[in-house]
Amino acid sequence: MIGIEQRSVCDGVNFRSIKDTKFKTVRMSVNFMLPIQKSTAASNALLPFLLSRASSEYPDFTKLGERLAELYGAEINADVQKLGDVQLLSLSASGIADRYSLSGESISTELSKLLCSIIFDPPFENGLFPKDGFEQEKRQTIELIESEYNDKRTYAKQRCEEIMCAEEPYGINRYGSKDAIKNLKREELTQAWQYLINNAKIEIMVLGDCDPTLVFEGFYNAFKKLNRTSTVDCPTKNIKKADKVNDVVEKMDVAQSKLVLGFRTAVAIPDEEVEAVKLMTALFGGTPNSKLFLNVREKLSLCYYCSAQYLSMKGIMLVQSGVETKNVEKAKQEILLQLDEVKKGNFDEDEVNAAKLSICNSYRSVSDSLGSLEAWYLSQTFTNQIKRPDEAAAIINAVSRQEIIDAANHVTLDTVYRLLGSEEETE
Amino acid sequence: MNIIKEIKSERVGDKYYEVEHSSGLKIFIYPKENNNSTYAVFGTKYGSVDVSFKTSDEKEANTVPAGIAHYLEHKLFESEDGDAFTRYAKTGASANAYTSFDKTCYLFSCTENVYESLEILLDFVQTPYFTEQTVQKEQGIIGQEIRMYDDDPQWRVMFNLLRAMYHNHPVRVDIAGTVESIAEITPELLYKCYHTFYNLNNMVLCVAGNVDLNKVLDLCDKMLKPSKPVSLERIFENEPDEILESRVEQKLSVSAPIFQLGFKEHTVPERLSAKEVAETEILLDLLASDASPLFRRLLDAELINESSFSYEYFEGPGYASVIFSGESKDPDAVSDEIKKEIAKVRDHGLNPEAFERSKKAVYGRMIASLNSVDNIANSMAALAFTGHELFHYIDLIAAADIDSVQARLNTQLRPEYSALSVVNPIN
Repeated sequence: MIGIEQRSVCDGVNFRSIKDTKFKTVRMSVNFMLPIQKSTAASNALLPFLLSRASSEYPDFTKLGERLAELYGAEINADVQKLGDVQLLSLSASGIADRYSLSGESISTELSKLLCSIIFDPPFENGLFPKDGFEQEKRQTIELIESEYNDKRTYAKQRCEEIMCAEEPYGINRYGSKDAIKNLKREELTQAWQYLINNAKIEIMVLGDCDPTLVFEGFYNAFKKLNRTSTVDCPTKNIKKADKVNDVVEKMDVAQSKLVLGFRTAVAIPDEEVEAVKLMTALFGGTPNSKLFLNVREKLSLCYYCSAQYLSMKGIMLVQSGVETKNVEKAKQEILLQLDEVKKGNFDEDEVNAAKLSICNSYRSVSDSLGSLEAWYLSQTFTNQIKRPDEAAAIINAVSRQEIIDAANHVTLDTVYRLLGSEEETE
Repeated sequence: MNIIKEIKSERVGDKYYEVEHSSGLKIFIYPKENNNSTYAVFGTKYGSVDVSFKTSDEKEANTVPAGIAHYLEHKLFESEDGDAFTRYAKTGASANAYTSFDKTCYLFSCTENVYESLEILLDFVQTPYFTEQTVQKEQGIIGQEIRMYDDDPQWRVMFNLLRAMYHNHPVRVDIAGTVESIAEITPELLYKCYHTFYNLNNMVLCVAGNVDLNKVLDLCDKMLKPSKPVSLERIFENEPDEILESRVEQKLSVSAPIFQLGFKEHTVPERLSAKEVAETEILLDLLASDASPLFRRLLDAELINESSFSYEYFEGPGYASVIFSGESKDPDAVSDEIKKEIAKVRDHGLNPEAFERSKKAVYGRMIASLNSVDNIANSMAALAFTGHELFHYIDLIAAADIDSVQARLNTQLRPEYSALSVVNPIN
């Protein structure tokens, strides 16, 4: 695999690049990390959307869109995510490699300039973001929060996380609350922007077929002017054990009920045991050969999906399923029973190998996609030592049977969330 | 004898092989030597719309229950001695399958044991095994898959639209069928459909990634069981040009109204030419991309948002329509605006500058899509069933002229054949 290069831009700002001409595109992103907090989540969340719509050079949303179309359908995207208790705000630019331009222009140089300018040179009017763009993005962010309700699978998962982590920063919605967005003032956004560029922990990534040096220089000069002196700390709280089970039922007019179980695993990045918990989760419910798939779905025919997912940044494991209302209890019992099987060591070598092969397969695929590479190295920034996917695969392969059993025995059930539809039975 | 043809594109800088295998199967192999992963699709030109058909050996046409192609896809994974997932567990491949309106595809992606995984794929798809008991077991699982889609507003708004536009064409029926229709499925019916459509002459194998042409062909020589050429007649009732209802509505648990606006086109049994499809793609980008005046007007009027508004050319055997979709507080107003813009473009012609931009944007996105082996393999399969060729399609985009694109409006986007489907919130 082609190596990753790392340079420091300035205090708290890292620059990583992978130049690989097997890609026909380039992707560059600036990723800002801040601790998620109730008081700032909304203003921070609005920033990437607001910044991505214009710059001083292209103050008009449509003009910027036209420029990107001219650059062969290049894109500038804004994204807000949560990585543990960290709010991750990203602005990215992607487009085709220079060798594909029909008239010889350097697409990557243009994109790097555009990305730099939307971040550092917003089209301020008297020090404020223009009112129309501000109102537009407020409305759109509120609609984004509201639309999380539409996909019931995602909604149920999010509700479970919210309830389970109500007392932790992780329980805050990545966009903040609707009310907080509604009440935002333009002045606050200028302040939030100042804080973002001056104090956030920042990872810049340049991936794919382009020379990263030019991009580095652009950002290096922009940050030099800021004179950054301090970078905010981004810790994540890891509650190791659930004291009691929190049982929550919500009703909704839906055809299929959803069941989500939230567990504490005691292990989170940067702990050494993370890979063992990943493997345990895959064996328990991460693949079509897992205990959950083979029993809850195939043996009992209770559902179409039943799977476990480990959120290594936060140290929690979630099991999700969609079932008939009358079968919710039966599914829950079977899920817990299968977890007990893993705890007792009732699994064979084939199951372990299948889980190992499956995880290693997905790790080795990382280097074939710019998006996966970006996500991989972003989560690696919170580990003690940056690992390449093949190095992580070697660790997975070395996990022993006993380590899987130990990992399972540290798992405690924290929250049972049920989204129940009507009681009406359908055959 | 296998006939091997090399297809090369100077523009893309890539090549692939098209093989007419002696068994009757068409094989496409797109090598990407620097990739870790390989992606393979074994597909049949058999989808949810093929519910009425006749082979040359038969006197009478067969009519089978809705959802049977999808049911068959689920059941094909099982054989007498276990299921395909258990076999893939030993190679580490990540396997799946999907059924659409016009095809059923079985796929895997892997980074090791490519040929072992390919052998499993070729074997299980050619070895049907259906019993009363295994067919019965799937009722619960697929029943829950159907229930899941019952709650999916995007899925519902689309099928409501298709039912409003199409009188007779089976595209109006859910791909998975209904709980009632799948109850009629028997092992005999599954065998009937299998033997009709899973004939190698009606199938295609596409492999993209880190593979060797000769090794793939050696394996195919060993595994493929020659099929007797068959002539297959798919029977579709006559479909009038007119739509059935111009507006349909349903209430679901959603936060804001969700809409799809469809423009039905006159169709003939033959598929559209690649040139027509490429021109439509440019036309739609020009009309409604985020750099278009229409998009800007809708956004400024707070009628749409960037995260949900989209458009697509939805076309297959015996059906074609342009569909605009999104979330809006006032779907009827969006529909009016879109129709106004279409009328304007029809009267005044396309803007030449915007045309050049859209052409570049569509071209750039096509190039970018060739990064991913999943995209390549799935596109090659889809194109093979329509008789189009991947690199030629890209050339057609680069060569498109404004008059031909304008001329698409003679048969497309006619307001008199449009229908609006809305999913409204319950409260």
